[in-house]
Amino acid sequence: MSPILKILPDGIDLAATEGEGLDDALAKAGIPLSLYCGGRGLCGKCFVEIVRGTLPEAGEDERALAARRRLAPHFRLACRVRIAGDLAVRIPASSLLPRMPVLSQGVERSFALDPAVRKIRLAIPSPALTEPQALFDLVRARFPGEGLTASPDALRSLVRAWAEGGGPAGEITVVLHGGRELLAVEPGDTADRAFGLALDLGTTTVAAELVDLVAGRVMATATALNAQVKFGADVMSRITAAFGDPARAEELRRVLLDSLNALIGSLCESSGVAGREIYEAVVAGNTAMNHLFLGLPVDTLAVAPYFAVFSSIAPVQASESGLKISSAGKVIVAPNLKSFVGGDISAGLAAIDAVHRPGNFLFIDLGTNGELVLKNGSKFTATSTAAGPAFEGMAISCGMLAVPGAVFKAADGKGTAVAVETVGGEPPQGVCGTGLIDLVALALRRGLVSPQGQIRDPSKAIPVADGIVLTQKDIREVQLAAAAVKTGIRMLLEAEGLSIPDLDEVYVAGAFGSYLDLGNAMALGLLPLVAREKIRFIGNSSLAGARAMLLSMAERERCEALAGRIGHESLARGSAFQSLFVDALEFREWS
Amino acid sequence: MDDLNAIYGRMAEAIVVGDPEAAAGLARRALEDRLDLQDVIEKGYIPGIRRVGLLWESGDYFLPELISSAACMKAAMAVLKPALEASAAVGLSRGRIVIGTIEGDIHDIGKNLVASMLAANAFDVVDLGADVKPDRFIDAAVEARADVIGLSALLTTTMLGQRRVIERLRERGLRDRFKVLVGGAPANRAWAADIGADGYGENALAAVARAGELVAEKRSS
Repeated sequence: MSPILKILPDGIDLAATEGEGLDDALAKAGIPLSLYCGGRGLCGKCFVEIVRGTLPEAGEDERALAARRRLAPHFRLACRVRIAGDLAVRIPASSLLPRMPVLSQGVERSFALDPAVRKIRLAIPSPALTEPQALFDLVRARFPGEGLTASPDALRSLVRAWAEGGGPAGEITVVLHGGRELLAVEPGDTADRAFGLALDLGTTTVAAELVDLVAGRVMATATALNAQVKFGADVMSRITAAFGDPARAEELRRVLLDSLNALIGSLCESSGVAGREIYEAVVAGNTAMNHLFLGLPVDTLAVAPYFAVFSSIAPVQASESGLKISSAGKVIVAPNLKSFVGGDISAGLAAIDAVHRPGNFLFIDLGTNGELVLKNGSKFTATSTAAGPAFEGMAISCGMLAVPGAVFKAADGKGTAVAVETVGGEPPQGVCGTGLIDLVALALRRGLVSPQGQIRDPSKAIPVADGIVLTQKDIREVQLAAAAVKTGIRMLLEAEGLSIPDLDEVYVAGAFGSYLDLGNAMALGLLPLVAREKIRFIGNSSLAGARAMLLSMAERERCEALAGRIGHESLARGSAFQSLFVDALEFREWS
Repeated sequence: MDDLNAIYGRMAEAIVVGDPEAAAGLARRALEDRLDLQDVIEKGYIPGIRRVGLLWESGDYFLPELISSAACMKAAMAVLKPALEASAAVGLSRGRIVIGTIEGDIHDIGKNLVASMLAANAFDVVDLGADVKPDRFIDAAVEARADVIGLSALLTTTMLGQRRVIERLRERGLRDRFKVLVGGAPANRAWAADIGADGYGENALAAVARAGELVAEKRSS
């Protein structure tokens, strides 16, 4: 008769196998234990309470771990227990693998904490004179079967930490990457202090999260202007600045790094974390930003056939990246999908777990380039469409970024007045992308603008607020931008043989989406006419996806795999684009 | 005369409102009624396309209107062309232009618009398409005995190719043979002067006007 394993507090009874590890038996029962050190009895995170049943006495290391946590002797490490008879165990919530939420809006999903960087405290005795083993071999012996590797730098930090850790216990904390590579060693027990960074390299704004890799918690978030804006507002202007000019490209890289390092500095300061305690950063930027960040030329993105230098790249040594984190750390770059569809989009797809989401959906990121990804069954196709900078408030007479004073919402006011909302509630100074869409849709509804985009009043101006008007040229810019997006969506759907009703969901990424008025966007034809509940605004999904990749190797691998199999639809196919584009210039709902 | 003026007015109107059936129908009527075709074009259709230009400049017309008016012009010309050729009426063409988007650039909507407006304004147009190598512009211009070479670029990176075409013209000793007209979003008058182009067209209408001037300059020199 096989032993019965009773699991509390759920009260599940389970037939176990004689000699089976308790951790394996629990995994089979669908109970996800926190096996941080890979089930080697080193981290002390999988303690369970033995309520009934007898077990052989715990080993010395296990007893030491229990003592450190002040646990009674009937608490045992699940990864050390072999089942040899009936058992009843209670699983403390703290021993369960934590699940991490991804997005704060739009999609509810979570993943199991599974970071690449893990810190494990070890007690390494001094090698004995009779059997003088190499120091690193003593560390390796604690990770059997893994073939742990270490660079000379990592070995130097090992011997330093071991000497400093001192004492007969020789307490040190090893920093592992991907379970195989020893990155560094710290003296003493610092296993609770493992940190990582999620970085979103936006063309206009850079955003960063400092993440506690042990708890999976975001400790602090910060955003700043990408200092590269002095080279131009939109991504094409950066490409142009770096085109054929390696010195200038290097300057763009330095300026970007300055912005990022300033963010890292402020995050560290507010959280009481030192930069050298950060062992991994996941970076997600559009293709051009990813290239500039790595110091790669963007020349091939500048002229037809517009291709990237790389899609995926192996982890970069932090010391080479220029980021002010531990020089022993790693920098992961979210893969570029296709030419202009970059790491911000692959990270965004990771954030919504695109691969596992059922049905057909469209993923839209509106910027200077409108990036579009269509999932048709299990097939992914990406494209980008040159929307121009109108949605970023550029190329508009009264346009501005979404900074204090920018009109970001507009609706009918009293009589013929327009009621506007500004960022920060300040007096209106200009109009940003979402405000522009509201204003144009409002003017269309009021008949001030024809569906063809003509301002009917001979003054050729639409009043917005004191000293702010929309000009005929502004309306034309909105027509061009909306038509580019609409045409991109139509060609993508057409290439995949889908139509609007076939879409189960439409994801709108970016801060832009969060304040976008759906009705107005649809009235202009910018977004397809679908039921409102199918549209999901997911905010900064690039940053959320970078964090998911930071906290889960599985998420990271899925993202890389998607990059390897996504298809591309070129919009430059003969005359199809032009006729669809010209047709799309008219303001009207999708039909 | 009044009657004729009314017909010309309807022709112009067909172009302005973008009604291709009316534009072609009026052209067929003109053939049947044996009207003077040169007058039909110059007093009927051309004033129509000129009004379209004014509406564009005032901001009332945009790309779709321009494209549909140009298409109407094309429809009318297609009806008139065989008779024009048979009658050996010469001097209707306002000049010959080879046009294309520069190498490395696949954006051709703007260039297509310029080409159709040129055609609508009675230029002979050879459209080379997009992503055109410098020497192809030159070879085509030589072959077509063109007056003007029109170079379009939509990116700040690819506009450098406009300079390259002019350099190649010099290297091949052909610079004086053709006038060079440049345009596209990133180009401007200063850029045109900087690279030694003969003219710059800020938009399709400006390009047509400038092309006319360049042809006149070339033929008078």
